[in-house]
Amino acid sequence: MAMMDLIGVPPALLFGQLLVGLINGAFYAMMSLGVAIIFGMLRIGNFVHGAQYMLGAFGAWYLMRLPELFPGLGLPSIGYWWALVIVPLVVAVIGALMERIFIRRVYDLDHAYGLLLTVGLAMAIEGAFNVYYGAAGQMYGVPESLKGGINLGFMFLPIYRAWVIAAAIVVCFGTWYMVERTKLGSYLRAATENPDLVRAFGINVPRLLMLTYAFGVGLAGFAGVMAAPIYQVSPQMGQGIIITIFAVVVIGGMGSIFGAIVSGLMLGVIEGLTKVFYPQASATVIFIIMALVLIFRPAGLFGKETTSHSVADVSSGRSGSFLENGRLWLAIFTVGGVALPFLVYPVMGMKILVLALFALAYNLIFGYVGLLAFGHAAFYGASAYVTAHAAAAWGLPTELCILLGVVVATAIGALFGWLAIRRQGLYFAMITLALAQIIYFYAVQAPWTHGEDGIQSVPRGTLFGVIDLSNTLNMYFVTLAVFLVGFAFVYRIIHSPFGQTLKSIRENEPRAISLGYSTDRFKLIAFTLSAMLSGVAGALKAIIFQLASLADVFFMTSADVLLMTLIGGVGTLLGPVVGAAVLVTLQRELATLGAWVVVVQGIIFVLCVLFLRKGIIGTLEEFLANRAERKVQQTADRSEATTRIKVAQ
Amino acid sequence: MTETSKVVLDIADLHAWYGESKALHGMNFDIREGELVTLLGRNGAGKTTALRCIMGLVRKKTGVITYRGENVAARPPEIIARRGIAYCPEERGIFSSLSVAENLELPPVIAKGGMTVDEILELFPNLKARWQSPGTKLSGGEQQMLAIGRILRTGAKLLIFDEPTEGLAPVIVKQIAVVLEKLKARGFTILLVEQNFRFAAKLADRHFVVDHGKVVERFSRDELAGNEAKIQHYLGV
Repeated sequence: MAMMDLIGVPPALLFGQLLVGLINGAFYAMMSLGVAIIFGMLRIGNFVHGAQYMLGAFGAWYLMRLPELFPGLGLPSIGYWWALVIVPLVVAVIGALMERIFIRRVYDLDHAYGLLLTVGLAMAIEGAFNVYYGAAGQMYGVPESLKGGINLGFMFLPIYRAWVIAAAIVVCFGTWYMVERTKLGSYLRAATENPDLVRAFGINVPRLLMLTYAFGVGLAGFAGVMAAPIYQVSPQMGQGIIITIFAVVVIGGMGSIFGAIVSGLMLGVIEGLTKVFYPQASATVIFIIMALVLIFRPAGLFGKETTSHSVADVSSGRSGSFLENGRLWLAIFTVGGVALPFLVYPVMGMKILVLALFALAYNLIFGYVGLLAFGHAAFYGASAYVTAHAAAAWGLPTELCILLGVVVATAIGALFGWLAIRRQGLYFAMITLALAQIIYFYAVQAPWTHGEDGIQSVPRGTLFGVIDLSNTLNMYFVTLAVFLVGFAFVYRIIHSPFGQTLKSIRENEPRAISLGYSTDRFKLIAFTLSAMLSGVAGALKAIIFQLASLADVFFMTSADVLLMTLIGGVGTLLGPVVGAAVLVTLQRELATLGAWVVVVQGIIFVLCVLFLRKGIIGTLEEFLANRAERKVQQTADRSEATTRIKVAQ
Repeated sequence: MTETSKVVLDIADLHAWYGESKALHGMNFDIREGELVTLLGRNGAGKTTALRCIMGLVRKKTGVITYRGENVAARPPEIIARRGIAYCPEERGIFSSLSVAENLELPPVIAKGGMTVDEILELFPNLKARWQSPGTKLSGGEQQMLAIGRILRTGAKLLIFDEPTEGLAPVIVKQIAVVLEKLKARGFTILLVEQNFRFAAKLADRHFVVDHGKVVERFSRDELAGNEAKIQHYLGV
C-alpha cells in the first residue's frame, strides 16, 4: 500500500481499473479466439464478428422482453441463464447460414474478398439494427443469482464480474483444449494445412468449415450475452470492438489460438492500467503495442514465422485497351470537367473529383501493388484536420495549408507503411486498419480537433493571393485542376519503370526479388505516394467543404474508398473515377432513405464481391476483350475459308 | 490372378483438365480384386492426375469411374473415400501441426477389417520411437512409412499409392517393397503409380504405361520379358 501511495495512485482506483481491464480482456479473449479460429481454418478475416457479438447481446435482450415484443402470444420472459444456452446456438445457426450463403463463395478467391464480404455484412447488419434502435443503448439487468458483491478488503468485487472472468477463462481454455488435444481438433488442424487430402480421407471438410465458422460465431454470441448486463446493448457495441480484436489477433500472432487468448486477457489489463496512469492513451494503447510488436516480432507474440503469402493480384485492367489510355482520358476529363458544373451542382462535382482523387490514390496501392490497405482514412482525415486547423486557427494562406496537410499525410503514410509493409494480404489490412485507429482516437481526444464538432467554418481564402476560392466556380476549377494533375501523376507512375516494377511485384513477388529488386522498398514508396495523394484529396476536401470532422478519419471512410475502387474496377485507370461518381450519385439518391443508407451500402459491398468483382470498368474490359477475340477468330476463319476456296479452284 | 476375378475399379474414357490445359485424353484401365497394378510413365504423363480424378480431387473431368459397380466420377472426395478407397498422395502429405500419433490416427475408420495400430507399428517399427514428435520432423523415409501406415487402419480395401519410393534411399525402397508385398498377401487391392520400373516390375501383376494422358501399353507380369525395349522407350527421357 505504501508503494501505491508513492506513485500517487489510490489502491481502490488501481484495483478497480484492473478489474475493468480484466473484464474487457475476458471479452477480447473470447472474441479474438473466434476470429483466430475462423482465420486459421477458413482464411477469412471475419469483420462481421463484432456484429455477431451484438446479435448475441440483442438476442439476450429479446428473450428477456418476449412478452412485450409479442404481446398476444403469452410467451414467457426468458432470463439470463437460458439465454446463455439458447442465444449462442441461434447465433451459431445464423453464422452457419451466412457461411453457406455468402462466405463459402469466396474461399477460392483472394483474402481481400473475404474481408470485403464480411465488412459488407457487418455494415448491413449493424446498419439495420441502427435503424431500429438508434444510438441509444438498451438496459439488461444483472441476473438475480449473480447480484451483489464481495468485499475483498482492498476493493469491492461484483459477483457478476467475477463470473464473467471465470466463465471466459473456462470457455477459452476449453476451446484451446478442443482444438489442440482432441480428435476433432486434429481434423481441424489437418484441414487447415491440406483440406483436399483430409477430404480424400473421408472427412467432409466443407461441413467442417461451416461448423467451424458457426462455432467461432457462436463464441461471439456467447460473449454478447455475457456482455449484455455489463455494457449497454446497442447496435454500435460491436463496431468499436472488432478493430481492437483484429489488433489483438495481430499481437497474439495470426492463427495462434493460445496467442489470441493470452493477448486478449493481457491487453485488457494493460488497457485498464493505462486508464490509471495515463488515461489519454487508454483508447490507443493496444494499437501502439501492436505497432511495437510489429517492429520487434513481426509474426506476433505467439505466432510462428510463416512463409509470406503473395500479394493480391485482383487487378482487372488490360493494358493496351483504350480504357487504359491516360492521354486520351486526360483530354476527355478536361473537357468533361469544364462542362460538368453546368450539368450538375458544382458542389457535387467537387465531391466526385475529390473522392475520385482519393480512390486513384488508393488504387495505386491496392490495384497496382496488390496490398489490401484498410486505413486510408488516416491519411485523408489527418490531412483534412491539419489543413483545416492551419487555415482556421493559424490563418495561413490556403496553398500553405494544403501543403502542410499533405506533408503530414505523407509522413504518417511513410511511418505506417514502414510498420506494415513486411506483411501481406489480410494481415496487411488488419494492421493498417488498426494503425489508422490511432489517428482516429487522437482526433477524438485532441483539443484542437474539437471532438464531435470537428473544425468548422474553415476559410477558403485566396489561392496564391489571386484566386478567390469563396467563389464556388473558382473553387471548382481549382479542384478540377488538382484532380487532373493527380490523374496524370498516377498515370505517369504506373507507366514508369517504377510502375512496371510494382506490377511485377504484384504478379510474382519472389521472382521480382530474385531479379534483384528490393520489393519492400518499392512497396513502401508506393504506399507513401498513395498516402500523399490521399492527403491531397483530404486537404482539398477540408477547403471545399470548409470542414474537417471525425467522419474523415473514421474507418468507414477507408471502407468507402475501397468500395469506390471495387465498384469501378480494381487496378484499372478509370475505375476509381467511375466508382467515385457512382458512389456519390448513389449516396445522393439514397439520402432520402436516411439511416438505411449504410444498410444499402453494405448490401452493395456484398453484391459487388459476389457478382461484380471486376467492377464496372473491369467488366467492360472483359466484354471488349472477348469481342476483340471473336473478331480475330472470325477474320481467321474467313481467310481460312478463302484459302480453301482458292485451293479448290 | 485369373481373368475371371472381379473388377474392383474400372476407368473408362477419362478426360481431365486443369483450367484450360487438358491433362487426360481418354484414359482406360481397370483393377481386379486382390491385384497390384501399376501406372508407369514419365513426369507429366498424367499418372497423378488419374489418381486425383479417382479420388474426386479434380473437378473438371468427364468419363466413367466405376468402383464396385457404382459410378463415383461425380462424387465428392469424402464420399469416394467412404466407399473404401484410401489414398497416399505424392509428397506424402504429412501434417506438420499433428504428431506422428495424430497423423496415424487421422483418417477415420470407414469399414471393419482395417489393421490395428499395433499391426501397423509392427510393419514400421521406426514410427514407434517417434510417436509424439511432430509429423514433419521425421526423415523422408519415416514420413513415407507414416503416410503408408496411416491408410491401413481405415478398413479401405483399395489402396492407392502415388510414387511411394520417390526420393528415398535404396534400403528404404526395399523395405517399402516388402511392405507392399505383405499388404497384397493380406488381400488388399493396390494401385501404384511409379516411375521406378525396377521397383514396380517385381511387385505388380499388371502394368499400364501412361503417356500423354492415356494408357498406351498394357503388360501382364509374364509379358514383361519381351517388352523391355518398349517400356524403356516410354519411360526413358
